[in-house]
Amino acid sequence: MAVTPTAALVQTLNGIQFGFILFMIASGLTVILGILDVLNLAHGELFSIGAYTAIGVFGFIIGVVGPPGGGIVGTAVFLFAVIAAVLITAAILLPVGTVLEAVFLRQIYDRDQVYQLVLTFALLLILLDVKKFIWGDSSLRTDAVYSAINTIPTSELVGLNYPTYNVFVILVGMASVVGLFWFFERTKTGRIIRATAIDREMATAIGVSTDRVFTLVFALGAFLAGFAGAMAVPPTAATLEMGTNPLVLSFVVIVIGGLGSLRGAFVGALLVGVIRSWMITLYPPGEIAAPFAIMALILLVKPEGLFGTWGETA
Amino acid sequence: MDSTATSDHDAGGIGRRQLLSAVGGSAVAAALAGCSTLLSDGESADQGGQSGDGISDEPIQAGLLTFTRGAPGVLGIQAQRGAELAVQRINEQGGIGGQREIELDVVNEGSNALDSYNQFIEEGKEVTFGPISSGTHSQIAPEVEKNEVINVGTDGTVTTLYEETVPDPTYSFRFQNYDIMEVVTMAREAVERIGADNISTVAGVNPGYSFGEDEMQVFTQAIQQLTDAEIVYEGFPELGASDMSNHITSINNEEPDVTFSSLWGGDVTTFVRQANANNMFENTTVFGTTLYSAAGDVPGDALAGTDIYSGSRNYYWGLPALGNWQPGRELFDAATQQEGVTVPTAHYMSGYGAVTAWATAVEKAIDLLGTYPSQEQIAQVLEGHGFFTPAGYHNMAEDHQGASNSFAGQMVYDDDLGAARLDDVNTYAATETAPPPGVTGSDWLESWSA
Repeated sequence: MAVTPTAALVQTLNGIQFGFILFMIASGLTVILGILDVLNLAHGELFSIGAYTAIGVFGFIIGVVGPPGGGIVGTAVFLFAVIAAVLITAAILLPVGTVLEAVFLRQIYDRDQVYQLVLTFALLLILLDVKKFIWGDSSLRTDAVYSAINTIPTSELVGLNYPTYNVFVILVGMASVVGLFWFFERTKTGRIIRATAIDREMATAIGVSTDRVFTLVFALGAFLAGFAGAMAVPPTAATLEMGTNPLVLSFVVIVIGGLGSLRGAFVGALLVGVIRSWMITLYPPGEIAAPFAIMALILLVKPEGLFGTWGETA
Repeated sequence: MDSTATSDHDAGGIGRRQLLSAVGGSAVAAALAGCSTLLSDGESADQGGQSGDGISDEPIQAGLLTFTRGAPGVLGIQAQRGAELAVQRINEQGGIGGQREIELDVVNEGSNALDSYNQFIEEGKEVTFGPISSGTHSQIAPEVEKNEVINVGTDGTVTTLYEETVPDPTYSFRFQNYDIMEVVTMAREAVERIGADNISTVAGVNPGYSFGEDEMQVFTQAIQQLTDAEIVYEGFPELGASDMSNHITSINNEEPDVTFSSLWGGDVTTFVRQANANNMFENTTVFGTTLYSAAGDVPGDALAGTDIYSGSRNYYWGLPALGNWQPGRELFDAATQQEGVTVPTAHYMSGYGAVTAWATAVEKAIDLLGTYPSQEQIAQVLEGHGFFTPAGYHNMAEDHQGASNSFAGQMVYDDDLGAARLDDVNTYAATETAPPPGVTGSDWLESWSA
C-alpha cells in the first residue's frame, strides 16, 4: 500500500497520541513497581474507574461552563474546564489509592511477590464488581468533550486533517511528562520518594516514614491511572472490560523501558504507540503482535529494559 | 429488491382473514405474528384445530443463552427482551397448546457458555434458545445434536455452522439470517446505491475475530463478483478498541469507493465518531451489516454529515408496512416499554423470532398429532416450517437455516426518536441473499459469474 506523506505524518501523530495515553497509564504502574516493588494487577481497573468517574465530572463541569464560546477566550475557558475536570477526576482517585494501600497492600509488603500478585488480582475482581454496582453493566460515554474540542481549528490551520482532540491529548501528555519529571527531580517529596526507592533502610534511618511514602506513591499511581482514564474516554466509551488491554500494553511498555523506570515508560510508550500505528498501516494483522515482538526483541538484546530500573534518575 | 420508505405505511399488505389463515390459525401463532388485536375483533383463533386435550399443564422449562452484560450486552439484551416478549405473548394465550406456559431461564453467555448450556440440559430444559456469539454457537451445536434437545439459535451467524461444524443437523436450528445473507445484502446494497461501475476500490474495517474475518472474506467474494473492485485495505481492530484512528487514516489515505464494516454495538459509535472527526466520510461511503445495532448508542452529532448504509438483518421496525394494521409498529411500542431497549434492532427479532419459530412449530405439531410432540417430532415439523413475526414471513429451510427478507437503508439520526433510524429502506428477498439449501456459500458466490 502506497502511503502519502500526509498519511504517514498522520499515522505517526496517531501513534504518538496513543503513546501518550499509554504513558499516562504505564507511568503509575511503573512508579508503584519501582518504589513499592508491587506489580499492581488492579491498575487497569483504576484507569477504568477514572474513565467512568470522568463521564460524571465532565457532565457537571461542561454543564456549568457550556460549549466552547466564540473567540480565543471562550475556547480557552472551555479547554481549561476540560483540564480541570480531568484533574478533579484524577484527584478523586487519590483517596481510592490511599485506602487500597493502607487497608490491603501494607499487610503484604514483607511477603513473597506471589501474594502481592494474588492480592492485586483479587482487588481487580473486587473493583470490577464495584464498577458494576455503581455504574451498571452498560457502557457509558460522554458526548460533551470530544465533538466540542474537535470544533476548535488546529491542524486545519497548517493544512492537515487531524482531530483537535488528538492534538489536545498530545499536548496534555507532554505537559504530564514534564510535570512528572519535575516532581521527581526537583521537589523535596519527589526526592524523598526516589531516596526510599534506592535504599529503604537508609531513608528510614534519616527519618523518612516509609509507610507514608508508600501510601503516597500508591495514591499517586491511582491519580495517574485516573488521569489517563479521563483523557482516554471522550473519543470512546467507558466499559467494564476497558481496563484489561491497557494493563497488558502497559506491562509491555514498562518491560521495554525497564521495570520501574519513568524515563523507560515514556520511551517505551511512544515506541509501542508509533510502531503499532505503523504496523496497522503496513500490515494490519500485526497490530496485536507488534508490541509483544518489540518487547521480546528488547528482552533478548537488553534484558533489564532500555533504561534499567528505578534509581539515581527517574 | 423492493424499495420502501419507512414513512410509507400504506403499501400493499394482506387481509386479516388471509393472515389468520396463513399464521396457522392458532391463538399463539396469531399473537406472535402481532395480530392478537384481530382476535379481539371476534375472529376465531382456532381455525387450525388446535386442542389442549391430552396435554399436561406443566410449564415448559426453556433456557436462553445470551449476553446480559458487558459490551456484547448491547446485542444480547435486545435478544433477551425479544424472547421475553414472545414468551409473554404465548403465555397470555394460555401457553403452548393452550395449556403449557413457558418459563424462560436467561443465563449470561460468558466465557463458560458451554457449561451454561450443559447446565440447561442437566436441569431438564425442553428447549434452548441462543447463543449470540458465533464461537459459542460452533461449540454448542454439536452438543445439541448429542443431547437431542431442540436449540433454536438466535444469532451465532457464522457461515460454516451448517456447512462444516454440523453439516447434517437434526435438533439444531438457526432463526436469524446468517453471515452470508447479511453480507450479500450489503454488497447488493452498495451496488444499488453507488452503481457497479462506480465501485473500483474497497476497504474493510471489521472486528478482529472470526466473525469480522468471515464477513470481510464473504464481502470480498461477493463484491468482486458484482464489480471489478480491488481490495485496498483491511483492518481488524480488536473488540472494544478505544482507538480506531489508524484504520481511519488508512482509509483516508486510500479513499476507497466503499468501506465495508461489520463492527457492532459500542465499536460502531467509537468508529463513527472518530471517523467523522477525521473527515473520513468525505473520502468514502460506509456499508455495514450490523452498524444499526448501535441505533440507541450513537449520538446525533456523530452521525451528522456521514454517509453510512446499514443492514438490519431480518427485521426493521415498521416494515413490512401493512396498511392500517402495523404489527411492526406494535412490536416497536411494546419493545420500547421494556428495560434497556431504546430501539428494537435486528437482535431483538433474533430472540423474538427464535421463540416464535419453535412455538409455532410445536403448535403445528400438536395440531397434527393431537398430543404434545416429542423432540424428534418438533424437529421434523421445524424443517421447512413457515411462520410469521411482525417482521414478516420466515421460513426455516430444510438445511435448518432461517430464511427471511433482509433490510438495509441509510443510517440517520432521528431527533424525535432520540436514536438512529434507517432511511429509504431497501428489502431483499432471501433468494437474492442466501444460497439454496445444500449449496455452500462460497460455491454459490462462485457460481454468480457463470
